[in-house]
Amino acid sequence: MFNRSGRAGNYAYAVSRVKAKKALLLKDEDYNKMLLMSVPEISRYISESGYQKEMTDLAGRLEGMDLVEHATYTNMAKVFSSILQASQGELKGMVQAYLEKWDIWNLKVILRGKSYGLDPEGIREDLVPAGSLDSESLEKLLSLDSVEDIIANYDKMEHITIPQDVISTYKSTGNLGEIEDYLDKAHYVRLVKSINPTSRPTRMFQDYVRTEIDIKNLETILKLKAEGIHGEVVMKYIIPGGRQIDTRYATQLANAETIAAASSDLSRLEFYDSIKGLVESDKVSIREVVTEMKKYEIAAANKFSHMYPLSVVPIIDYMIHKEIEVSNIRTISRGVESGLDADTIKGLLVIRWRSQ
Amino acid sequence: MIENGIVDITPGLVAIGAGLAVGLAGIGSGMAEKDIGAAAVGAITEDMSLFGKALMFTVLPETIVIFGLVISILCIFVM
Repeated sequence: MFNRSGRAGNYAYAVSRVKAKKALLLKDEDYNKMLLMSVPEISRYISESGYQKEMTDLAGRLEGMDLVEHATYTNMAKVFSSILQASQGELKGMVQAYLEKWDIWNLKVILRGKSYGLDPEGIREDLVPAGSLDSESLEKLLSLDSVEDIIANYDKMEHITIPQDVISTYKSTGNLGEIEDYLDKAHYVRLVKSINPTSRPTRMFQDYVRTEIDIKNLETILKLKAEGIHGEVVMKYIIPGGRQIDTRYATQLANAETIAAASSDLSRLEFYDSIKGLVESDKVSIREVVTEMKKYEIAAANKFSHMYPLSVVPIIDYMIHKEIEVSNIRTISRGVESGLDADTIKGLLVIRWRSQ
Repeated sequence: MIENGIVDITPGLVAIGAGLAVGLAGIGSGMAEKDIGAAAVGAITEDMSLFGKALMFTVLPETIVIFGLVISILCIFVM
């Protein structure tokens, strides 16, 4: 009985830690206050709301926007690592699979940095060690020079095999895009596979991930369409395993020549209502569509997080909210630095404003 | 106890009943406390000020053992 519960995961412990962390997240009114501040004021404000240690550690060598960016990313990496360390059993497996995207992020940063000839110091600055690769493994990858060696070592660390034809395409073209696309696809495939949908909460988590795949695929389709690309080429970038957008539906959307032509097909999507006005307008802003879809995603996460308190869903919900908080802080800081007005910045934030 | 060659097992059954009352109640409260304790330690790790509240919630299922103890006392001394 006790062994079984150990294998299933320490949900009570991990969830209560996450709930305590969630109470410290910034609220809507905090964002409202930050919109009226300058970058140094934002730095001071966030150091009083949970980012103090990172801000103090980095204040000696960084300032302004760089300080805010690095402090928020470092804090997020630390928080996610602590959640991963606190989890056990099947819960750890799911959290690890979810956080693999940060390992892929780091690998991409290292590959890009190395291919542009940056020194390890410069690349290290942009790493976010929020995944399962510890700093020792990342240092090992950083110490390698060739892209092939880095990939071979990463394959061993993460038990993933990047096909030879993807690597040979890189060798012949010198373009890392193929490898990056493969890694992104592999991440989602592995994540969906790692979730055992035998209980209601894990099924909800799997549905959430598959909806995220739908949103990513739709974003890709719309972006390519805006560039005038349609048909088979689009299908090359589609991530398999979506909940609503399967291969047939994706082909149908990809074959439409313009966004306007695809909008009638899009009406089948569950989240169509939230993007309807934007997609049907004359000049479609992909950025606004993506922000709306992100808002839909966060609302879905909010809804399911309260349903099963002793499951993986509150933990995933927290990680989504933390990522969005970091992204919102960066958006506000960047917006303020570039002199954008408060309303424009507000439109870029992924928040369900109370008035909405 | 043997009287006229008849064995009276009543005191033995009462003792077993009393033991079961405390034992099963103990296992029950232990199972309840397992998750509450884990959650309490998790909450305290994040925020030390929750120690008092967490401790109170952790010991709440102990009342179940007291019910078991009362039943066993009744079994032994009243029956």
